[in-house]
Amino acid sequence: MIPRADYDVIVLGGGPAGLAAAIGASAKGARVGLIEREERLGGILKQCVHDGFGLKRFGEGLTGPEYARRYIDLCAATSTKVHLETFVHRVRREGGKGSGRRFVLECVSGAEGVREIAAPALVLATGCRERTDRQVFIHGDRPAGILTAGLAQRLVNIEGLLPGKKAVMLGSGDIGLIMARRLALEGMAVEGVYEIKAEPSGLARNLQQCLDDFGIPLHLRSTVTAVHGKKRVEAVTVAEVDERGRPRSGTERIVPCDTLVLSVGLIPEDEIAASLGLTLDPATRGPRVDQFGASAVDGVYVCGNALHVNDLVDYVSESGATTGAAAAAFALETTAIETIGPGSGRRAIRIKAGAGFLYAVPQFLDISRPGRAIVYFRSNATIRDGARVRIKAEGAAIFDKLYTALRPPEMERVELDIAAIPARSESLLLELERREAVHE
Amino acid sequence: MDKLKAGLRKRAGTAVEAREDRGSVVLEGRAPTWEERIGLGCFAARFGFKGVVNDIEVPGLEALDREMPSATVGATTVGATTVGATTVARPLEGASFDAAIIGGGVIGCAIARELAKWRIATVLLEKEEDVAVHTSSRNDGMIHDGFAAKPGSLKAKYNVLGNRLWEPLAREIGIDFERPGSLIVFRGAATKAVYPAFAAIAAINGVDGWEYWSRKRVRSEEPNITDDQEGGFFLPSAGILSPYKATVALAESAMLNGARIALGACATGFEREGNRITRVLSTKGDFRALVVINAAGNWADVVASFADDRFFSLHQRRGVDMILDSSAGRLQNHILGMPSLSQAAAKSKGGGLVKTIEGNILVGPTAAEAPGREAYETSPLELSELEKHIRINRRLSPSMAITYFAGVRPCTYEEDFVVERSSRVANLVHAAGIQSPGLASAPAIAAEIARLAAEILAATKRLSPNESFIARREMPLELRRLPLEERALAIARNPSYGRIVCRCEEVSEGEVRDALRSRLPAASLDAVKRRARAGMGRCHGGFCTPRLMEIAADELHIGLCEVTKKGEGSRIALAETKVGRS
Amino acid sequence: MSETRRFVCIVCPRGCALEVDIDESGRGAILELRGNECRRGDEYGRREILDPRRTLTSTVRASGLSRRRLSVRSSGELPLPRLMEAVRALDSIIVNESVKCGDMVVRDILALGVDIIATDDIGPNEAE
Repeated sequence: MIPRADYDVIVLGGGPAGLAAAIGASAKGARVGLIEREERLGGILKQCVHDGFGLKRFGEGLTGPEYARRYIDLCAATSTKVHLETFVHRVRREGGKGSGRRFVLECVSGAEGVREIAAPALVLATGCRERTDRQVFIHGDRPAGILTAGLAQRLVNIEGLLPGKKAVMLGSGDIGLIMARRLALEGMAVEGVYEIKAEPSGLARNLQQCLDDFGIPLHLRSTVTAVHGKKRVEAVTVAEVDERGRPRSGTERIVPCDTLVLSVGLIPEDEIAASLGLTLDPATRGPRVDQFGASAVDGVYVCGNALHVNDLVDYVSESGATTGAAAAAFALETTAIETIGPGSGRRAIRIKAGAGFLYAVPQFLDISRPGRAIVYFRSNATIRDGARVRIKAEGAAIFDKLYTALRPPEMERVELDIAAIPARSESLLLELERREAVHE
Repeated sequence: MDKLKAGLRKRAGTAVEAREDRGSVVLEGRAPTWEERIGLGCFAARFGFKGVVNDIEVPGLEALDREMPSATVGATTVGATTVGATTVARPLEGASFDAAIIGGGVIGCAIARELAKWRIATVLLEKEEDVAVHTSSRNDGMIHDGFAAKPGSLKAKYNVLGNRLWEPLAREIGIDFERPGSLIVFRGAATKAVYPAFAAIAAINGVDGWEYWSRKRVRSEEPNITDDQEGGFFLPSAGILSPYKATVALAESAMLNGARIALGACATGFEREGNRITRVLSTKGDFRALVVINAAGNWADVVASFADDRFFSLHQRRGVDMILDSSAGRLQNHILGMPSLSQAAAKSKGGGLVKTIEGNILVGPTAAEAPGREAYETSPLELSELEKHIRINRRLSPSMAITYFAGVRPCTYEEDFVVERSSRVANLVHAAGIQSPGLASAPAIAAEIARLAAEILAATKRLSPNESFIARREMPLELRRLPLEERALAIARNPSYGRIVCRCEEVSEGEVRDALRSRLPAASLDAVKRRARAGMGRCHGGFCTPRLMEIAADELHIGLCEVTKKGEGSRIALAETKVGRS
Repeated sequence: MSETRRFVCIVCPRGCALEVDIDESGRGAILELRGNECRRGDEYGRREILDPRRTLTSTVRASGLSRRRLSVRSSGELPLPRLMEAVRALDSIIVNESVKCGDMVVRDILALGVDIIATDDIGPNEAE
């Protein structure tokens, strides 16, 4: 007999998104079970010893662990039951349609053995993983000394280990820049940061405080094409690239080093979502949801980096809170009503991001419920001289703002009033109009 | 010989000379490029000599000709004794064995298990820190049906025999084995027309079954197959297994029956008296052996030269494989290949899409002559070649790639196995030139080599069978495959089985510890990966490496900074922060 | 002789490219500051040249506790030229008793009037 625990809402993932979702769901009166595969809550924040987290949420620039602690404490003040070091083997569904419908998570842990954890509502807050060297086609043998920035961060900050003596870093996003500084602070030589685009991806503040402060050169329009060494990295080959990001022959240089750190992108972790039949939006690499984080499968919600890769943890917390509350409402309504039809009263219209956007999230808007909806978007190019963003329903703009600057790595947040959207609207369209020529 | 010389003059003028040496042809001189060097060797192989010894030098690449394993660098042979460059324990020093096997790949380990069926003392020397580090872990795990081997060759003979032996052997040694069958898809009417020829070859080789599948049948068996197909040739006997798990299992099975596996032990020479080897010299000690078996993979011709028996030489053909995410595995049912007409001339099996036993799809391999016995550096060109294989299955895409890796095939110029007793040295047996279908052939090659070795031993001592041979090796526990109730019991007995450390492949701490405590224990993270799969998934160690390091340090009683990826010289962390500031 | 330093202003998203001419001989006095679109940019630029300060975030060793390292931060900003010295000074710190987030770990580091405080809890075992 496999023991079973029943909840109203299960939150999968105990990082900032999951913690916020658990708190949000609890506040609505739901019994919440939080499943976390590590020994401690906090997710990736545990290893982000740098500051700058929470400027919007708390008005303070906290370190990662401090931000996590705030939410861990808030969560501890609810009746959420936390299952640590617990891994989900499989999710199955039982009960058909109707009030008995449940998601049943088959879970494994050292302390509890095998148990089933079930609820009518499931919030996926599973975060993301890092792209690896092979996935950006760096060639060579497989020596020791190649690591992603997140792995390097965990080794340095949690395990207290230095990956090497001299590092080359690929990728100028904030994660890479932060780690360049971290390695330099701990005494490693950082030969340089290489960035494939013509512009750095990270915030100006980080370029200043992570590279300039430490005299670490930044090489734009460059990439690492190969790693040398059999047992241990001995050098890398770097090369300049063309506008399409392809290495230009004749520009190759060998850079001696013993460590290659990669910060070349994050990918939402959505194995469980896929196993439940959710398809992923190729633009975000996460499932499609409405403004409550509700997916195409009734009862399955997605928030945080599992939905799309965020740059501000504040927005992750916001997403989690909204989603947790919605999941709770669903669960508590579900147990009260007899049948759940597809959508059950939802009227979801498509949000389309026009030219000039990388993506907009959510992909759907449920206009059957009044209130505010938060829409996030990213431009697909750096715009310094102004851009007008409009959101139109039935041809009329319900949102219109002139932004002084837009950059792909800096996601923007828009609040919409559902009441402003005509009830017969079929879709919302995001439009971007540049004032000047685009800076690539 | 005259015809060969004439042909060489035509191709290389006076730059290359040929002479006969004890039945083999020796090529000497210079060639301008590596390709030409190999080409001349292949040409010489057509003339029926015992073997081709290619000593042609390529200016600028001389170092490659004289390449020796890095393990021996610094070790010099002074007179009859090997002197190590650094002080290293020499546990084999002064020992005596009946049989010494050189090489811990699937062939060497299979031979060790076969020899364990006799009551003899066997030692296997492997120069790396684990078995299956080289060719045996760098292939797609396919147990070929035998169709692609040249009729009449040793490849064909041993492949078909081995294919049959693998299924019961896998059960005995505790590894998974499946027969998905191999479907060679016809591209158009022209390739479809070769079906009768294919069928004829299959018949000659003694392949266990073949079928013609219509276009419709192909589509129903493989719903995701490309539209660009005109039916196919299906060989139901093609199987798959994990080649490195198989190698470890064979080694452990041999150890279970008294064989000794010496890791980090590189053979550096032989001492001979008359026409016999008396002692084997190695970096872990010099010892006596009554029979020596050369199963040294890409170094087999070098080992042969230790006994002045280099009657063949090897040239290396590199192949690159790409591993696709396990979600890709659900999109295919059989092994798929799609040869083009030009590929008929290719020397290596065409390659395609292999669904591995773990459920990934392996794309490849490519094939390119490339110098370097352990040259595993991949290149963009090889990757772009793999993309054409992917097209066979409509739903696959390069974005599903987790990683790619290279392997190096040890090829004789005759492109066939060397499975025979030495004709010059009375107690030396060769299992060399084992390229594809070497994995499939392994049980059959091992049986033959063991028979030859026993023949040699029987001439000098009384040989009796091992009455207490234990055929069964238990399969290591993989908890994710257990029914939940059984899994719960296992965790109740040992809570570390409930703590998942590799989230991509769902591997528990307990399974990692089992690998580190195994009969042939893992001593590096790559060795753990080969046994327990931790680190093989989509994040490729990104999440689990720190935890794996902690567990390895604990089990191996070493510091975190001493944990290696693949043995000496490959530490993951060089120092502790704060303490190790330079 | 003068030297021109170029850096991006980080006060607002506009990110103006600042250029500051510094007199090398006269102990780094600012001769001219250009590129800013507002007064805050001017202030930021001057501060960055004359008295750049940074928060230090790092880790310290922990012994006999549930983890090997404890994350810490400086309670205020440190002068940039002394940042590496401060982080090296942390090398010799070992925490071996339970600490709560916010507790002081080092008082008045390098006598700069700034403390080093813990940014996480740590104890003998993991108790969440």
